[in-house]
Amino acid sequence: MIGAYLLVFLQSHWQWPRLWLGFQPDLTPALLVCAGLTLAAGQVSTTAMLTGLWLDSLSANPLGLSVLPLFIAGWAVFSFRELILRDELVAQFYIGTAAGAAVPLLQVWLLRLVGSNPLLGWQMGVWCLVNALLCGVAVPVFYRLAKLLDRWLSHPSHDPNRWPNENRQIVRGKN
Amino acid sequence: MKRFFYRSQQAAVGAVLLTVSLLLVMPESVRARLKSAIGGLFLPVIGISTTGQAALQSLGQLGVSETESFPTNKALAQGPGASPTVAELQHENVRLVKENNQLREEYNRLREDQGWERSIPWETKLVRVVGRDPFNWWRRIKINLGTNKEVRLNQPVISVRGELVGRISEVGPLTSWVLLVGDPNCRFSALLKESRSQGGIVSPRQYSADPRVVELTYLPNDVEVRPGQGVVTSGLGGGFPKEIPVGVVVDSWISKDGLYTEARVKLHANLNQLETVRVLTDY
Repeated sequence: MIGAYLLVFLQSHWQWPRLWLGFQPDLTPALLVCAGLTLAAGQVSTTAMLTGLWLDSLSANPLGLSVLPLFIAGWAVFSFRELILRDELVAQFYIGTAAGAAVPLLQVWLLRLVGSNPLLGWQMGVWCLVNALLCGVAVPVFYRLAKLLDRWLSHPSHDPNRWPNENRQIVRGKN
Repeated sequence: MKRFFYRSQQAAVGAVLLTVSLLLVMPESVRARLKSAIGGLFLPVIGISTTGQAALQSLGQLGVSETESFPTNKALAQGPGASPTVAELQHENVRLVKENNQLREEYNRLREDQGWERSIPWETKLVRVVGRDPFNWWRRIKINLGTNKEVRLNQPVISVRGELVGRISEVGPLTSWVLLVGDPNCRFSALLKESRSQGGIVSPRQYSADPRVVELTYLPNDVEVRPGQGVVTSGLGGGFPKEIPVGVVVDSWISKDGLYTEARVKLHANLNQLETVRVLTDY
């Protein structure tokens, strides 16, 4: 949640990616893919809802419009994650790229559906492609970051077969 | 797909669908209030970010002054008898000339701004840009003043140098949103400065990578439109006061139906690099 909050804030308040690339990259699809790969159902839907609401609160989109595309991306990954080689870098890149391309298209489609009139054009296709690739690159980064944070912040689960086991003290006698 | 039908997952999907449906059917006023409240959650980080940037800038200035004083200190440390070589002096001279030019440019710019501020008939408020719409299909910026400082809806916003930037589209208690020129929802009447021909600036019809280019349309066919001609606000419609500089004409063409002339206009204000803008409070 904190990651989503910070990502949305940075997308709205950091200007240098816009100055370098000519557009503001949207990495929230990558975040939802990462959530779909690692979190439980409730957490995926909560992440999609909060990220979408935060994004829309800082934009001219109708409130709640971004929730559905992000949720679809996260939920699709969550539903099929047993079939995905989710620890593989290449798989993560492909899923991230697909989500990064699909989410903006869904958002634009929903915007047109509710009667909004966003700026569209063929140059947006180029932006969409580059953004999708950036999302593809971001998924492995987020995935490893999430694993790292999990290792730092959560208590290690008990594994009786782990060796050496710190909980077991072997007392050796003289005999 | 079998997983989809687990009960706990049904609840998660149901919650999302219910929330989205409720939000989309909600009355516009309630939705706007809710949006403002959710956006307000970012105020603490905006504050931290702004303070951090200011602190970094002041640290940077300290660093610069220390570095600049370094050659002098070095020369002093060598003792009163030691004299710098010709190469060192030449290097120092080049550096000082460069610095002098930079300071002169900054001084001229500040003098121009000051002069412009004295000459305008409107009252303005200087505000800081604290955010931007994260979506590329909208062009909006967030400023750090709201109803607490009497910022009101539809007030014009100009750059520090007095070029048109946009208008206030949403006002919150502490922050406001500015709709930039080039957004599909920011349309206004403008005219060619030399010929005084009426026209309406419309936003780019297509997404353009260059946010500084907009289209001026509905110009009469008998008007000569040349590249480099200045475009200013006409004051019609009451949205913006008259004679705010907008941009210069890049090229022009006759519309497809042949009824009017259209032109591409390059805006004076660099909308990608706005840090401080002025809100016209009395105009």
